[in-house]
Amino acid sequence: METFISEPAVRQVQVQFFTNSPDIALPEEKQQLIVPTNIGRSGLSQILNSDSMLATPNIVPFQFLINSSFLRTTLEEYLSASGFSTETQIRLEYVRSFIPPIYEASFEHDDWVSSINVLSAHSLSGRDALKFAPGQERILSGSYDGLLRIWNKSGQIIATSPMAGDGGHTQGVKAAKFMSQNKIASAGMDRTIRIWQYTESEDGFSGKLKPKLELYGHKQYIYSLAVHGPSNRILSASGDDKIGVWTTNEASAPEAPSSLLPSSIRSKRRKSTASVSTLQRGPLSLISAHTAPVQGVIFKPDDPTVAYSCSQDHTIRSFDLTTSTLVDTRTTSHPLFSITALPGVSNQLLAAGTSARHITLLDPRMSASTTQAMTLRGHTNLITSLAPDPDSRYGLVSASNDGTCRVWDLRSTRQGTKEEGSGPVGEAMYIIERNSQNGAKRPVGGEGIKVFSVAWDKDVGIVSGGEDKMLQINRGKGVTSIAT
Amino acid sequence: NIDPASLLPKLPRPEELKPFPTVCSVLYRHKERVRSLAIDPSGIFLATGGDDGIVRVFEVTTARQVWHSKIGDEEAVNVVRWRPGRDATILAAAAGEDIFLMVPDIVDIETEQASLDLLDAGFGYATNTVQALTANGARKDPVAKWTRPGTRLEADGVLIKITVRSTVKVITWHRRGDFFSTVAPTAQKSAVAIHTLSKHLTQIPFRRLPGIAQTVQFHPSRPLFFVATQRTIRSYDLQKQELIKIIQPGARYISSFDIHPGGDNIIVGSYDRRLLWHDLDLSTRPYKTMRFHSKAIRAVKYHKGGFPLFADASDDGSLQIFHGKVVSDLMENATIVPVKVLKGHKVKSALGVMDIDWHYKEPWVSSAGADGTCRLWM
Ligand SMILES: [Mg+2]
Repeated sequence: METFISEPAVRQVQVQFFTNSPDIALPEEKQQLIVPTNIGRSGLSQILNSDSMLATPNIVPFQFLINSSFLRTTLEEYLSASGFSTETQIRLEYVRSFIPPIYEASFEHDDWVSSINVLSAHSLSGRDALKFAPGQERILSGSYDGLLRIWNKSGQIIATSPMAGDGGHTQGVKAAKFMSQNKIASAGMDRTIRIWQYTESEDGFSGKLKPKLELYGHKQYIYSLAVHGPSNRILSASGDDKIGVWTTNEASAPEAPSSLLPSSIRSKRRKSTASVSTLQRGPLSLISAHTAPVQGVIFKPDDPTVAYSCSQDHTIRSFDLTTSTLVDTRTTSHPLFSITALPGVSNQLLAAGTSARHITLLDPRMSASTTQAMTLRGHTNLITSLAPDPDSRYGLVSASNDGTCRVWDLRSTRQGTKEEGSGPVGEAMYIIERNSQNGAKRPVGGEGIKVFSVAWDKDVGIVSGGEDKMLQINRGKGVTSIAT
Repeated sequence: NIDPASLLPKLPRPEELKPFPTVCSVLYRHKERVRSLAIDPSGIFLATGGDDGIVRVFEVTTARQVWHSKIGDEEAVNVVRWRPGRDATILAAAAGEDIFLMVPDIVDIETEQASLDLLDAGFGYATNTVQALTANGARKDPVAKWTRPGTRLEADGVLIKITVRSTVKVITWHRRGDFFSTVAPTAQKSAVAIHTLSKHLTQIPFRRLPGIAQTVQFHPSRPLFFVATQRTIRSYDLQKQELIKIIQPGARYISSFDIHPGGDNIIVGSYDRRLLWHDLDLSTRPYKTMRFHSKAIRAVKYHKGGFPLFADASDDGSLQIFHGKVVSDLMENATIVPVKVLKGHKVKSALGVMDIDWHYKEPWVSSAGADGTCRLWM
């Protein structure tokens, strides 16, 4: 029997390309184009790279968004699924394709790595950033052995903080941050915040951390610090349910509460043997708003008089720091263990990591009835740390007790099921395993591989640290700039 | 023709009864069998004790061991229990015939000082030296000796040792934190003791028990005290010194029981694999008897932080989570729905899960295993 299969006529559709990244923008006369409908992401990416369009020296893989959602099919399939005709012009936003963060290096510690912070031109603000010499990036790690370490990108230790008797922490470090190129704040299980002066030798191969100030006030572990270098301000989140507001200016800092100083105890085991005496100060204020341990606190990115905090009491709270008053409370369904702002997103989104294995996104400015903007799902354990993508307004990375970091793009979403509480649900673009695992199956309870901290720096990449005693660097390779 | 199943009240599906713990989220490792564990009143720390004679304190969410002390030289740690309240941080633990009170190095200096003061206050009372006379006029050994445990332990923060006459298996605190009761089942007449922290005083409230004492509980709000022997649970009025009620679960060998925070219901676990729910308003017989485990039940516990949940733990290596909502109507019974079996502990030498404890507020339960691990289920 003879069959006649007619080749379906290739239909065409008019598209308009646009982007929010000026370095890959098309000249206006090239923004509109008629394309066949049987092409998808890779075909469209080839068109954009071609000599008649962007004429890129090296191929830049692109992704395309229609109405803020990634195009995952051909244009034809998209049109028929959404009921649009080929008569309509499609507005196609293009962005650089996500480049998988490839494993680059691990720096070994003596104990669990609890906190990671990167110093680079992009992590500094204002004058400091302008003065910063490229190639001088530093990674600060805090460890359960009570020490801070400063590394260069090649994995050499430039400086280590002194031991307990010489002005160092007497128990494990949980949080550490650069306040400027010469100043560091750290805190942890000894309930103190310590301020350090950091200096490097001329050649940059050695440095010194000198204790400057010890801040007393918290009565339980300090889990997280936020710093604002220009105003010398620090915020702290503690297991005593309180948020501390501190200044590193010793002249204006209040006296330390005497009942919390090591010298006040009659106990045998706390006899101070310190050979160094460092200035001791107290908090500007301790804010009692939460009803369970406070796990994270941040400054509002564009306004250091506003703070956001997250707690095991299920809430995210906003504070006016000029008066130390609670301004807003958002109650979620689960204990919250990590928080970050996503400053690039137009609506000023906050992301919070839960014990219930997901990340909740919410807008603190919107009415309380629309608390939850989006949920990111995929982790299999508590989420310990979050950091925004320095190159994308829509990206972030999370770290979890499940032993992974996951990279998310807020545009990569689907509609949530009823079980998931509806609303859009995002899934990870990429999962970063611990290199120390050598591809082995992840153990129950994340035993031995929990990730406690993650930072994402434009120059250094994704830096994470955890129970495997490793600081691990992953980096998207081959990010090419059109301009060069 | 009526299908008899259709006459039964329809139970809600487990998915409708969320939240309850579903997965093992944190694993804490010992070298040997873990016999007991307890989450502290702040929810930040987990205390454990086991066959290696060491009391350990872990940070709950990271599994970091933050403190330990070896209190049992040859003896296993049989029980660890935190003193209620957040004004002080005191942990009680027992190894052999010794009960220890300790202030682990996990608190700020102010709280540490408050805790030391609570432990030391009783040294002002000379109760240790008062010895009762027996019928023939001879001096009796005191039922308990309160002493300092020696410099090594004191340096760890283990500050009081109370020595009784037989191995202590159970410690239960009264909610106000001044009394705690201990059970040494083989001590016969002095099996059940009540200790007063502020006076360093030990009293034996019951000289006669109808069987070997297994475990005890203070009522959560009234001055009642419950004592379980192998087959019955008796409630006593402590002030009037009288027997109130005899509860008969119908189990052959009671291992454990717990009182609902509302005070009118109890759950009982037994070595003969039974889990029983009693409504004290209704009857001295169980309202519901369940046999889900293939081996002995060693521990039962209600959630005390607002969730209508309870759990049991068994030598078959599993924990079972139940939803059991107590209604205010006196004549209506609680609806009990098994919602989850939590598996992961390995059975070792015929022992499985030896103890459980809920987080004070979240629907998280922790378990101590004969396999040398503790687990937190979220
Ligand atoms: Mg009733």
